[in-house]
Amino acid sequence: MDPTTAMYVAQGIHGLAYGMVLFLVASGLTLIFGMMGILNLAHASFFMLAAYFCYQALTITGNFWLALLLAPVAAALLGILVERFLLRKVHAFGHIGELILTIGVSLVILEGVKVFWGTESLPLRVPPILQGLVSIGGLDYPIYRLFVIGLALVVLGIMALLLYKTRLGMVVRAAVSDANMVNALGVNVPLVFMFVFGVGTWMAGVAGVAIAPILTVFPGLADQMGMDAFIVVVTGGLGSIARAFLVSIIFGLLSSYGVQFVSTLAPVLMFIFMAIVLVIKPMGLFGERE
Amino acid sequence: MNILETRAITHDFSGLQVLLDVNLEVKAGERHAIIGPNGAGKTTLFNVITGTYRPSEGEVFFKGKDITGFKPHKLVRLGMGRSFQITSTFSRMTAFQNIRMGILSKRGIRFNMFRILDKMQDVTAETDEVLKRINLDGERNVPAGMLSYGKSRSLEISMAMATDPELVMLDEPTAGMSKDETHHAVELIRRLTEGKTLVIIEHDMDVVFSLADRITVLHLGTILASGAPADIRADQAVKDAYLGEMEV
Amino acid sequence: MNKTQKWILWAVLLTILALYPIVFGIYYSNVFVTFAIFALFAVTLNLLLGYTGLLSFGHAMFFGTGGYGTAIALEHIEGLPLLPAVLIGVLAAVALALILCPIMVRVSGTAFAMLHLAFGQLMYVLALKLRVITGGEDGVGGFPIPPFSIPGILSIDMTNPLNFYYFAIAVLGLSIWFIWYFTKTPLGSVMVSVRDNDNRVAYMGFMVPQTKAIIYVLAAAFAGVAGSIYALFQNLIAAGDGFHILVSFAPIMMVMVGGIGSFFGPIMGAAIFGIIEELTSRYTERVELVMGLILILVIMFAPLGFLGFLRYIKERWFGKRPDMTTTEDVA
Repeated sequence: MDPTTAMYVAQGIHGLAYGMVLFLVASGLTLIFGMMGILNLAHASFFMLAAYFCYQALTITGNFWLALLLAPVAAALLGILVERFLLRKVHAFGHIGELILTIGVSLVILEGVKVFWGTESLPLRVPPILQGLVSIGGLDYPIYRLFVIGLALVVLGIMALLLYKTRLGMVVRAAVSDANMVNALGVNVPLVFMFVFGVGTWMAGVAGVAIAPILTVFPGLADQMGMDAFIVVVTGGLGSIARAFLVSIIFGLLSSYGVQFVSTLAPVLMFIFMAIVLVIKPMGLFGERE
Repeated sequence: MNILETRAITHDFSGLQVLLDVNLEVKAGERHAIIGPNGAGKTTLFNVITGTYRPSEGEVFFKGKDITGFKPHKLVRLGMGRSFQITSTFSRMTAFQNIRMGILSKRGIRFNMFRILDKMQDVTAETDEVLKRINLDGERNVPAGMLSYGKSRSLEISMAMATDPELVMLDEPTAGMSKDETHHAVELIRRLTEGKTLVIIEHDMDVVFSLADRITVLHLGTILASGAPADIRADQAVKDAYLGEMEV
Repeated sequence: MNKTQKWILWAVLLTILALYPIVFGIYYSNVFVTFAIFALFAVTLNLLLGYTGLLSFGHAMFFGTGGYGTAIALEHIEGLPLLPAVLIGVLAAVALALILCPIMVRVSGTAFAMLHLAFGQLMYVLALKLRVITGGEDGVGGFPIPPFSIPGILSIDMTNPLNFYYFAIAVLGLSIWFIWYFTKTPLGSVMVSVRDNDNRVAYMGFMVPQTKAIIYVLAAAFAGVAGSIYALFQNLIAAGDGFHILVSFAPIMMVMVGGIGSFFGPIMGAAIFGIIEELTSRYTERVELVMGLILILVIMFAPLGFLGFLRYIKERWFGKRPDMTTTEDVA
């Protein structure tokens, strides 16, 4: 295998891993939007918070696997509290109120994190088994990135099971494609909202934990991931999980290969892609709903 | 002379046929009622005429001019005004401000950003005059969203006429009104449309027969009959399709 | 209020503004200039949010463009006078608005908010990446601040903070007054009706997209004025204080906290934020934490903002019903 091919493959793996993590965040965002009509601007804050929880749990217990399990759940619980005690209260005031409330929540989480953990970058060490490279078919792959891809696939599997095999999932899917359906189905709407919000933040949490060892843990995490996830959701059209997946992978690869070939312009590439899509179709890549 | 004419209007929503070969003729000065059961396509016909949709096929003529596909604001300037079945006022603006929008439009004041509106005495005077005529002068400063149902319907109808159109299109103006309110509304419509042409969609047969000079019956997207009230009353096809159920 | 009272009010206001730096000194004059910049910025956002019902998450792009326009012009054009420099910033913001408005006037609600967030971020990334023009993270700074001059008559040094205070307050005050005037004109009332029911506006003979376009460009132009004055005031404009998302959020928070329902609410909001920032920054670096908490509390308990709260108190305790005739009520 010549070095050029090896490099391409390595970049591809990087891109794929980032795309998968991005999808975990974006799918929660799009699910919450599709269901509740709220663009949750604090979504990435829960992602970041989970990374900090993971760091904290790892520091206390020393067990990465335990931290991996606990941190997203803790983030999701906090998300549920925010939904139950803040968002639900302002629902009557309309979407603008909800949007602005999520700005407030994101500010508080961001600043709160700085108060508790400071503004430094905190390194997160993974167990030895996930370190290093593995050689498959004459090519070296970084184990941790493969693990991230695998983890994302597992979460994806759980999501698919929830959405397609349970009654609750059916309700959620119906509601995402047609918001008026929820009432017609005669379900406990607030409970379903809370559930969706919890699952969405949980997925963001898993993504936060997964990315923490790669990028380290710092307050700027939310900014970076939040914007990328947001672009994915807007470009893919709000409320569609399948398109969010497609766009996430495209973006992961785009940013990974972009750094390789046009390093200064790489961060702009996604915006340009989005801008083109939006100018042609203001409702997103395939979407028609406003 | 026909002030309004539709020629072979056909309209479908992604395959669902709503109007089929509709030829409506409205003479200048008449009061023309469009009746028909729910789903007959009455509101769609209104929407096609007033520029909400462009018809799939056919043309609309207004004062002899082909206006097919014209945007609503352009039609208003040509002298057409419409009201909505579901009250569509500016809910957070006062009754006065609602009517004043029509007065501004009528006077062609659309982009003026150099004079203070409250100081334009002639606009204020004319608006107050209209409010008086429609018995809303008592509610001058009440936000439209806080008016009683009957009053907000009066406002809805009057807004269609505040631009002083030659042709007034009213979509079920008395929908949801009590007997008493309906009576007042009919009087109001009669008074305000003096000298104008009126096209009205209506379910209440008392209203139809007391107002209309001519009636067009729409059924399943086509015109079943069109003529003087007495003829419509006598028409067997109309009875079979529609009036029979309504116990006229 | 009759004519005499009005004149007295204006005279008192102008006297206070004129004497302020002499009484409070230069430090608080600078605090006041910052407040006035954000007051104008918030008022322009309220033109979209409160009056037209359009929530923008990218209003900073006009603020930043105004700032960069003025800064870059002063950096590269030798001997450029003060007012033309401001004008260049404003025209840059207007140009950006003109490019965007064909898309923006066709959307509303969440789509409008998100498109602005997206384009706002694009501007931010561009400002960071196009180093040759924008200076990257460091921004454009240290450019010459020309004097305010009328050739042959006078020339006032603008590097003197006291002189700059008067210049900034005059420009910002006139801008706010102009916007206030605009809301009282016929077009201003069409604007409010677009927010209430854009469909009906068209059926009354008004052109909705064109009306929105004018308001959009106007809001952008005056946001550009605020940005331009900001760049002159700091003698620096960088991506972080020109285009950052928090710069877009700030006026939204000011509008919400001050009161979305009136013209003066955003100004009140800017004042409240200025005071809170001034006070909290003495005790903690985490000013935004306090801001975030206040924002949440306001949305939860006083959705009509500070002015709405005052009105509620007035109604509750003094039995005075809110006056419905006032056209100041836009919500």
